[in-house]
Amino acid sequence: MNARRVLIASANSLFGKGLEKLLVQKHGNQKVAIRLVSSMQETLQILNDWLPDLVILDYDDHTIDKTIFLNRFVSGESEMRVLLVSLQSGGAPLIYDRRMISAQEAEEWLGQSLQDFPDKPNKAGEKKDGGMRHYLIVSVLVGVFTILTYLFLTNAGLLPVQASSQAILIDELFDVHLFLISFFFSLISVFLIYSLIVFRRKTGETEEGKYFTGSSKLEVIWTVVPLGIVLYLSFIGSKSLAEVSRVDPQALEVNVTAGQWFWRFEYPDYGITSQSLTLPVNGQVLLRMTSLDVIHSFWVPEFRVKQDVLPGKNLVKELRFTPTVVGDYTVMCAELCGGAHAYMNAPVKVMEVDDFDNWVNQELAASSSDPEVRGQKFSTEKGCIGCHSLDGKPSVGPSWKGLFGKEEILTDGTKVVVDETYLRTSIYEPNLQVPKGYPANVMPSTYKDLLNEQQVEDIIAFIKTLQ
Amino acid sequence: MRKVITVGLARGIFWQIIGTLVGIGMVTGVRFLMGLGWKAEPAWVLGAFVGAIFFMGGVGAVTDWWRWVKGERTLEVHEIHDPSGIWRYFGVSYDHKVIGIQYGVTSLILLAIGGTFALIFRTELAESGLQFLSFQEFNTLVGLHGMVLIISILLGIAAIANYVTPLLIGAQDMAFPRLNAFAYWLAVPGSILLLSAIFFGGFETGWTGYPPLSVRGPLGMQMFFAGVFLNGWSSILGALNLIATILRMRTSGMNYFRMPIFVWSVLATSIIALTATQLIGLSFQMVMFERIFGMGFFDANNGGDPILFQHLFWFYSHPAVYIFVLPGLGIISELLPVFVRKPLFGYKWVAMSSLGIALVGFLVWGHHMFTSGMQSYLRVPFMYSTLLVAVPTGIKFFSWVATLWQGRIRFPTPMLFVLGGIFVFLMGGLTGPPNGTVSTDLHLHDTYWVVGHFHNTMFGGYVFPLFAAIYYWYPKITGRRMNETLGKLHFYLMTPAFFVMSFGQMRVGLLGMRRRIADYDPALGFDLTHLIVTIGGFLIALAVLIFFINLIYSAKRGSVAVDNVWESRSPEWQVPSPAQMHNYPEPFEVVGEPYDYGLAGTQYVVFHNAEVSKGSEGSKL
Repeated sequence: MNARRVLIASANSLFGKGLEKLLVQKHGNQKVAIRLVSSMQETLQILNDWLPDLVILDYDDHTIDKTIFLNRFVSGESEMRVLLVSLQSGGAPLIYDRRMISAQEAEEWLGQSLQDFPDKPNKAGEKKDGGMRHYLIVSVLVGVFTILTYLFLTNAGLLPVQASSQAILIDELFDVHLFLISFFFSLISVFLIYSLIVFRRKTGETEEGKYFTGSSKLEVIWTVVPLGIVLYLSFIGSKSLAEVSRVDPQALEVNVTAGQWFWRFEYPDYGITSQSLTLPVNGQVLLRMTSLDVIHSFWVPEFRVKQDVLPGKNLVKELRFTPTVVGDYTVMCAELCGGAHAYMNAPVKVMEVDDFDNWVNQELAASSSDPEVRGQKFSTEKGCIGCHSLDGKPSVGPSWKGLFGKEEILTDGTKVVVDETYLRTSIYEPNLQVPKGYPANVMPSTYKDLLNEQQVEDIIAFIKTLQ
Repeated sequence: MRKVITVGLARGIFWQIIGTLVGIGMVTGVRFLMGLGWKAEPAWVLGAFVGAIFFMGGVGAVTDWWRWVKGERTLEVHEIHDPSGIWRYFGVSYDHKVIGIQYGVTSLILLAIGGTFALIFRTELAESGLQFLSFQEFNTLVGLHGMVLIISILLGIAAIANYVTPLLIGAQDMAFPRLNAFAYWLAVPGSILLLSAIFFGGFETGWTGYPPLSVRGPLGMQMFFAGVFLNGWSSILGALNLIATILRMRTSGMNYFRMPIFVWSVLATSIIALTATQLIGLSFQMVMFERIFGMGFFDANNGGDPILFQHLFWFYSHPAVYIFVLPGLGIISELLPVFVRKPLFGYKWVAMSSLGIALVGFLVWGHHMFTSGMQSYLRVPFMYSTLLVAVPTGIKFFSWVATLWQGRIRFPTPMLFVLGGIFVFLMGGLTGPPNGTVSTDLHLHDTYWVVGHFHNTMFGGYVFPLFAAIYYWYPKITGRRMNETLGKLHFYLMTPAFFVMSFGQMRVGLLGMRRRIADYDPALGFDLTHLIVTIGGFLIALAVLIFFINLIYSAKRGSVAVDNVWESRSPEWQVPSPAQMHNYPEPFEVVGEPYDYGLAGTQYVVFHNAEVSKGSEGSKL
């Protein structure tokens, strides 16, 4: 029996030498004749001249063009086998028998077969040296960056002063969020930036990236773990909400009326109406809120809580909070309500309980008999001065300073002297005689319902004093 | 002059004006017969809709259907051969690539307009005090900035989906080419109407149009509603077409899990757009009716409820956010393997996560209403569902990271925008959960924090991927590459500017800056941050300007790129650029996985015509 002719084609001499040694060990020198080639040209030459029985091809060797090789392989007539061996992709070697396959089949085999190769042996090896080192470095970096980011975020003064017991609870939940943000930010961005630096293509490299298409195990992990975190976060979120909305039956009740663009606060227990919200410290307050026109929203950043205020008698909304720090704050409308939305603010004063009692007494005493003083009170309470300044500066509407007795030019060009009749008309029917430079339909026409006759006269008396 | 008249767009606008007058005449005539005088609002509203219908007739978007009605034969799609040259872009064409460009240019024009609105009011906000805008102007600009850019995003997504989807799945065109043209052209009068709001007194509600404020506002409010209504129609029809195309027109061998991943995201997006858009149309229509006919849907004093509007509105407008970002995330997943030279990690999981986001997205609208005064017990289930969105979104991030891991990463301009998109969207994603838990949202709702958060999601999920897509597919459209230097300048200017802007927004928001206010108290100490945010905004504008210059410059002067410039496996790059009419001379067959980069000797698609596959570089054995 003739010796089997084996051709080993690889530019990597170790590849050929190693295989040669193995074959000789197994079959002995007589049974196999082995030739090593390292270039494309040599391979084709020997393929023709020597007619090998078996060709072992280094799949990883890119200097050997497999297309040309395959064409030659298919076009020959003698019996021949081809063994494709890959050291990089690993797995079982593939054997093609010339007699068994058609050209198209061969192409398909070449195209598909390697996908089925589980590349385990090599990957494991890679992990031990390259892979593990990468993971180790990145894990350490993720840990360090998580801590640094968290320290930065918690010390950056992100939130305003905590001035209510609800603020303390809410900020605790913020703290959990900041930690999760720090961790996931570090996790993703450290992996990303590390990859961008370490796995970038160096100049001149033509190789492709490492071939792996996914891992169900990893996917399940990064589905289930976040799912757990999310459910836990929702759970503590629910607990936080329950504590934030805890009811104190002793709460001080305040009826809040919002309108374009003012706030009014009524204390039903005391019969006081005020344009500022004055509260005793450390006692829960219950706001019952309604709007006269559109949706507004009650928000004091230092208290953290917010509630929309809706128009409609059946849609009174409640909000509870407990101020804990004496001081001056501002309630702001947080829902776009048109026009002077930006200026829809009112002062909030939190004071000691004694001071609050004093304030209540003062307010009760201040129900004045002087129409001008009453007028001043109404014009602040009803929100007039939100749009009409008292110091001569033009605002949303004309300033009241020096208004009485002045000659105004109206949008239709006519002139009118501002007297009591004109002021009355302007309050009751704001769109009838609009002064030039101020668009119509800005001042709400709700004041004829909001103010009684005496109040209008008081306000006019107050305007007269502003010269 | 004659040329202008033969151009569809000019004809359309001419007929829109005629139609508007006809609509106004109809209302006024009927009122006159009833003995009533002139009333602007109903006249203009009917005028708006009749004008839009006349536009569609004038532009020629219904011509073929009218021929069918008359029993005449029209050309089959593959028989149509558009004339070349620029004028075909100004009239009705059934070629999905032409329609894609039309969508894209319209979208970029609206992007520039909406961005300019932002620059105007950002300048106003650069310091405290009212400088040069009135309240009404400010509020109108804020609302238009929002809605114009939303329409721009919808059209931009339609542009990419229209241009790329049939190419990726090996279809000659979309399933319904005439409907495709109709959907595009409907967006044109819609956008004109939306922008016209500024000339009708504007509107003061922001893009959300909440009643009762929107019931009271000037006529501009109606133009806003009408414009969005028509664009909603366009979006629904476009989505329908894409779904049909993806389900029915894939080439042989392309089963669902061998589709390019971008197609999955288009499918998910289209399912949302097809089924949710009706709700915003409905809610806006109800306000229009409340204004015109005095119906009390949202008026508590007439038995209505203003919160009902918010439910209807957000049932669309929250999933809409996923309409905006899913295609962008799809582009990231599509382009990443090309530039990493590695398979997309966990293809099936990434594909399913798009559907997961789409599905969960339908169940979370209530998180926009935690402070609205809806039933307070509803807030807890909405908190759970909202945070669930983090799971499929997380899958995408982890998969992208794993895709980059051990790749051979290249950094041409499209890749830079892909990476920028991942980072910015990461910021958007991470700033989301604090809005999702109710008690923290009580503080955050309606603040600049939210403004910063969603600008991160919009830029990361749409703007960056959009630019990536344009830089990437530009050679396929024009046969030339966009200038790399200008592209990198665009990226390295826009990215830091964007972070400065959005971090500034979030910072003032946490400290107490409300949304949509024209002025703020200098005592709050926000002046400096606002100035920086404004500068950031202007730098973004400058970067986008560079992009526009590059876009126009490279069309004529860019380096010629006929071949597979990115060495992609994707079918559209296996044929020479620019893509020809009806896409491929021969149908191709899918024989492998789409992203098997790094696995030598594999192909994704095979052209049976040898002539064609010559151009393919990436498919070498």
